[in-house]
Amino acid sequence: MARVGVFVCFCGANIADYVDVPMVVEETKKIREVKFAIEYKYMCSDPGQQLIREAIVQHRLTSIVVAACSPRMHEKTFRKALSDAGMNPYLLEVANIREHSSWVHQKDKKAATEKAADLVRMAVAKSIANEQLFEISVPVTKRALVIGGGIAGIQAALDIADARIPVVLVEKSPSIGGKMAQLDETFPTLDCSQCILTPKMVDVASHPYIELIPYSEVIELEGFVGNYKARIKKKASYVNFATCTGCGACWQKCPVKVPNEYNMGIDKRKAIYTPFPQAVPNKPVIDAAYCTMLLKGKCGICAKVCQVGAIDFKMQEEIIEREIGAVVVATGYDLWDPKPYEEYGVGRFKDIITSLEFERMVSANGPTNGLPVRPSDGKIPKNVVFIKCIGSRDEAKGIEYCSKICCMYTTKHTILLHHKVHDSHAYVFYMDIRAAGKGYEEFVKKAQVDTAATYLRGRVSKIYKKEDKLIVRGEDSQIGQVVEVVADLVVLATAVIPPKDNPELARMLGISYDKYGYLSEAHPKLRPVETAKAGIFLAGCTQAPKDIPDTVAQASACAAKVCGLFAGDTMKKDPMISTVNTEFCSGCQNCVQVCPYGAIVTEEVPMGHGSKEMRTVARINEGVCQGCGSCVAVCRSMAISLAGFTDHQIINEIVSI
Amino acid sequence: MKKLTYYPGCSSHGTSEEFDKTVKMVMTSLDVQMEEIPDWNCCGATSAHTLSESLAYALPLRNLVLAEKLDNKTIAIPCASCYQRLKVTKYHMDNNPELALRINTTIVGEGTYTGKVEVKSMLQYCYEEIGLEAIMARVTKPLSGMKLACYYGCLLTRPKAITQFDSPEYPISMDRIVEALGAQATEFDYKTECCGASFSISNTEVVIGLSGKILEMAKESGADAIVVACPLCQSNLDMRQPDIEKHFGKQYHLPVFYFTQLMALAFGADPKELMFNKHIVPVEEALAKIGKVEPGPEKIKKPKKALEAESEVE
Repeated sequence: MARVGVFVCFCGANIADYVDVPMVVEETKKIREVKFAIEYKYMCSDPGQQLIREAIVQHRLTSIVVAACSPRMHEKTFRKALSDAGMNPYLLEVANIREHSSWVHQKDKKAATEKAADLVRMAVAKSIANEQLFEISVPVTKRALVIGGGIAGIQAALDIADARIPVVLVEKSPSIGGKMAQLDETFPTLDCSQCILTPKMVDVASHPYIELIPYSEVIELEGFVGNYKARIKKKASYVNFATCTGCGACWQKCPVKVPNEYNMGIDKRKAIYTPFPQAVPNKPVIDAAYCTMLLKGKCGICAKVCQVGAIDFKMQEEIIEREIGAVVVATGYDLWDPKPYEEYGVGRFKDIITSLEFERMVSANGPTNGLPVRPSDGKIPKNVVFIKCIGSRDEAKGIEYCSKICCMYTTKHTILLHHKVHDSHAYVFYMDIRAAGKGYEEFVKKAQVDTAATYLRGRVSKIYKKEDKLIVRGEDSQIGQVVEVVADLVVLATAVIPPKDNPELARMLGISYDKYGYLSEAHPKLRPVETAKAGIFLAGCTQAPKDIPDTVAQASACAAKVCGLFAGDTMKKDPMISTVNTEFCSGCQNCVQVCPYGAIVTEEVPMGHGSKEMRTVARINEGVCQGCGSCVAVCRSMAISLAGFTDHQIINEIVSI
Repeated sequence: MKKLTYYPGCSSHGTSEEFDKTVKMVMTSLDVQMEEIPDWNCCGATSAHTLSESLAYALPLRNLVLAEKLDNKTIAIPCASCYQRLKVTKYHMDNNPELALRINTTIVGEGTYTGKVEVKSMLQYCYEEIGLEAIMARVTKPLSGMKLACYYGCLLTRPKAITQFDSPEYPISMDRIVEALGAQATEFDYKTECCGASFSISNTEVVIGLSGKILEMAKESGADAIVVACPLCQSNLDMRQPDIEKHFGKQYHLPVFYFTQLMALAFGADPKELMFNKHIVPVEEALAKIGKVEPGPEKIKKPKKALEAESEVE
């Protein structure tokens, strides 16, 4: 007969204040199979675990129930305690009496106690039918895929590659560098963005362990942790990178001009182009949407001037495959389109620009020789109004969250304006100044003194035109009055938003995303770079808005996780997976339809012993199965069983109450 | 022939007779037959909704129910305030079942609301259901040479969730209509600022301040006149203009037309029929501009969005 030991935790006051723990222990002791039951203040602490280890030996226990917090919190801790005492760790059951009882029934101690006792009774009933289970070993492909070549992807790729693990870095645009390559200087130290970024870009290109695949997108990921297969679409660049020397003759001669994305459309690039001079790889691509040769069959000048014959107008897109063991997703962010701010005249007034447009203007390699200019007349602005929280913290027009970086970069912009146009004056409309970070508050304070910018706490309600000036009307909530500022240029700090194809990407990868479209981490505090799917990690703004230091830290954390995953030749996996009893399987394949992981395949087995006729049955790939139990629920023949959650165990639980 | 249900509202029988009359003239020339809601009542504007929620919805609801008895798709309402009350009531009847049930009981005996009739302002009706092309086709005396600041006030396009028409901040429907009549619409940033509304009576100072800014900006936009689609806006901007001029020591001379007066004029109506004699600010100077096209009027171009610009070939 089973000999169950029950260990009820006070969790300090978390459980004990709302649940009568000794009462739960007394109730539990009445169960026939329970041979030992005890309460303790902190069961997860070392003395608590020692209690479990000793009881296992002393009372010859065959299964263990710990009534404490959520199994998501400490199941691993207690399993280890069982192992240490020489017991199979999967003979543990956790009754969650904290999240499921004490925390949610704080106003009714009697009922909470009864519920806790019920939860323990259920866990005991289930544990009686527990069986020994053993971890599964799966082989690992030691190669990582990094999606996105901004600073997050670059950092993650370099860190992983430095550990001598091969990396495939896929970037959708013609060059790596991302948004950081568009920045002039970076807060709070004002070091030049290009100067700190481009050496890393070059390192990526020359690293023996990094395969850089630019102008490409990951279109499919199949498999499971340690054994993924990625299909990558290489877009047609119409330029043979192997022969191209990057001399530039083609884009100098190309007659087609296109708004330059790198400079936010302020100037033009050619239809054959590299995004910016420091691009990596420094090879051009042809923009098929504009090239007259590709559209109308006329021109072809680039092919004529190319000395090495690298232009290939017949190039087709290509699908390649890579076997990999882990994925780092670093797809970055987009900026919110301020069009809904009609009361500001966005779209009507040329002299209202976004912060990234301002950033491009003041950049040394920008379209206006590093000077801010008014788009309407090209004049240098004197009075510049910066408006923060455009779309951020705005439930009516934009999104609820704070974009985190705008306070800091707007401060930086007031400094850059002051440096570039000495007799200028900056006005900043703000809601709050959020400068939490190393050296950030000091940076803001110093900028306020040095630039003498006027900070106005309040929202802008309207912008209108008076002659060639923009009149910015807003509230100064500190004096409680409406103020009007005459501006030459208005700069909007638009919200950070996730890339619009993030949901599609998430579905393709099989990971989750939040209501905004940011990819979801497994735990907001304790597993910030993992996703719920094993072997897929998140770096940078694709998870939430963040600045460069945080992005780089997260990217390095991803690299550490990947290296950890690849530390052994095989990988351990929880044994709670489904198995098919082929005797009972009717081959209906309902399970194949519902499996969210594609873990179920079919196979042919003989009709009977020695029979030559075959029938179809389901088979579960144990490496892929995540133990969700969907197949068990839809199986009409009750042929599928989930280890650790057998029908027998579940029925035991139900019957016990 | 199109058919239309008409809710004139009480100002049409008083301060805005010229709006009512020209609406009728314009609709006749556009081949639209208007049927007035039989036995319509006050929409309850301002007074009702500041005092009693159920009255605020019950009064417009009775009009909606009566309008449903006529077999037309749309009710068009000239007054912005009446429009607002009927539209808001319809919105809640359609989207707020709990409230709908409560109000329905207040008008027992008049009929049951089904929601089959669309509520539109007269401006919206002209813009959406008649259309610019049909308007342009009817013009016999283009208003070329006239520069007009189109003033929408605060109610015609707001709140956006309820009105579902044009932009709440920078509407352009009236601008397009006057352009279809041959006039030039000026770039006027105060087109949705508040005129002060009924404070005209209780606290005139407020209206002098608010309407004063509107006049100032309209003048600055280069307009010869202001065009409106709301009786209260018209009366504040027109009737209070002398007071405003006196208060700020400025001269505006900006007549304030209903857009239907200008439509009728462009459609060839006799100016004597358009009741310009009811205006406080003389209209003659502005009307004299018609036919005089100034050399090279400043063309209002929509700014191109940075990345939308097409490619160009050298």
